[in-house]
Amino acid sequence: MRCDALWPVGLPCMVLTAGEARSAQEERWGGLLAAAQAGDSRAYDTLLREVTPRLRQLARARIRDAAEVEDAVQDALMTIHALRHTYDPTRPFGPWMTTIATRRAIDRLRRRGRGAGRESDLDDLPEGAAAVAPVAEERIAARNLRDAVAELPESQRTALRLAKLEDLSLAEASARSGLSVGALKVATHRAMRSLRRRFGVEEGDERADR
Amino acid sequence: MQTDELISRLSQGLTPVRRVTPPMRAALGWLALAFGVVAVAVALSGFRHDLEHRLMLMHEQVNMVAALATGAAAAVAAFHLALPDRSERWALLPLPFAAFWISGLGWGCIAEFVERGWPALGMSLGCMSFIIGFGLPLTLGMLWMTRHAARIRPGPVAALAGLAAAAIASVGLSLVHHLDAAAMVLIWHGGSVLLVMLLARRWGARAMQAMRP
Repeated sequence: MRCDALWPVGLPCMVLTAGEARSAQEERWGGLLAAAQAGDSRAYDTLLREVTPRLRQLARARIRDAAEVEDAVQDALMTIHALRHTYDPTRPFGPWMTTIATRRAIDRLRRRGRGAGRESDLDDLPEGAAAVAPVAEERIAARNLRDAVAELPESQRTALRLAKLEDLSLAEASARSGLSVGALKVATHRAMRSLRRRFGVEEGDERADR
Repeated sequence: MQTDELISRLSQGLTPVRRVTPPMRAALGWLALAFGVVAVAVALSGFRHDLEHRLMLMHEQVNMVAALATGAAAAVAAFHLALPDRSERWALLPLPFAAFWISGLGWGCIAEFVERGWPALGMSLGCMSFIIGFGLPLTLGMLWMTRHAARIRPGPVAALAGLAAAAIASVGLSLVHHLDAAAMVLIWHGGSVLLVMLLARRWGARAMQAMRP
């Protein structure tokens, strides 16, 4: 049917056809999932690749951070996989997928909310602790940081741990480590400098990052 | 891991799955199981001595039917709610029945109060242990049947499962146990049902997680 015969004005007609296109697409996805339930892995691969942009869109509606969005998309894909037997091919596919994607996005937000609650304390720590603590949104970055700290000389590592991570005063740290206050200062400073250099952070940049 | 890689991994070696039982059929199956279990318990315990007399009473019949309807509605709602594509409004289905049941008991309390003053209230731990003893295993049975809800909305599904199981256990108990005062029924039946429901709400999600394949 020609659309402009019914609607001389372009816009409502476009909305209508977009809706139709969407429902046709969802019908196709429902069919693909039904085939996947029977074990058709090619149909399943096609389905997951085709729904991913929509999952991303649904996640982005709730989450701003791009890495976090991608995690939510992957969670949604894994949930679709785990729940693929709960889809009834006689029913629309859209709401089924939307509930799953929305749930996973909300879970991400909650988990992140809890994490942020713990992380906020670190802002009160002295300068530099922020750079050592999980600056790393991604686990990989945290891992790299741990490795880098592990490679520091023993004295620098001790100084960093006592002064920056355990937040002891220099006097306490000196008493605990047996190093003089001056030596602690130098070791901490050197440790921070080598970490900064290693991660390509300019001097004075590390707080602006957070 | 990249999303593309994840998709390839998920679709490789895909195995066929058996679809979940449609919710209405699953609910009927669970209700049949629950009735069976409670009927056996009732048969073993023996009917209360004044059953015939009690069943002639209008308010007693209304109470039992209301409890039964609450349990059945909660079961139907739980199995629907366990599926991702069903509306969350299914959770409201047992509310009118539960309200009717509780208001019936409440009305009984008032009638008794007018007639006899404060009824003698006593402990009835037997009631409580019957409802909890049958309610919790039946709840677990439903949680196992709806374990796919663990990743979707485990809390409401578990609470409904607890309500369904305890309400049906309470119907069985009315056939067995002797409680005259409506206030006692309200406290011990109603309270036990509420307790099972709260336990399910609190621990149900964890139980579903544990039962997940």
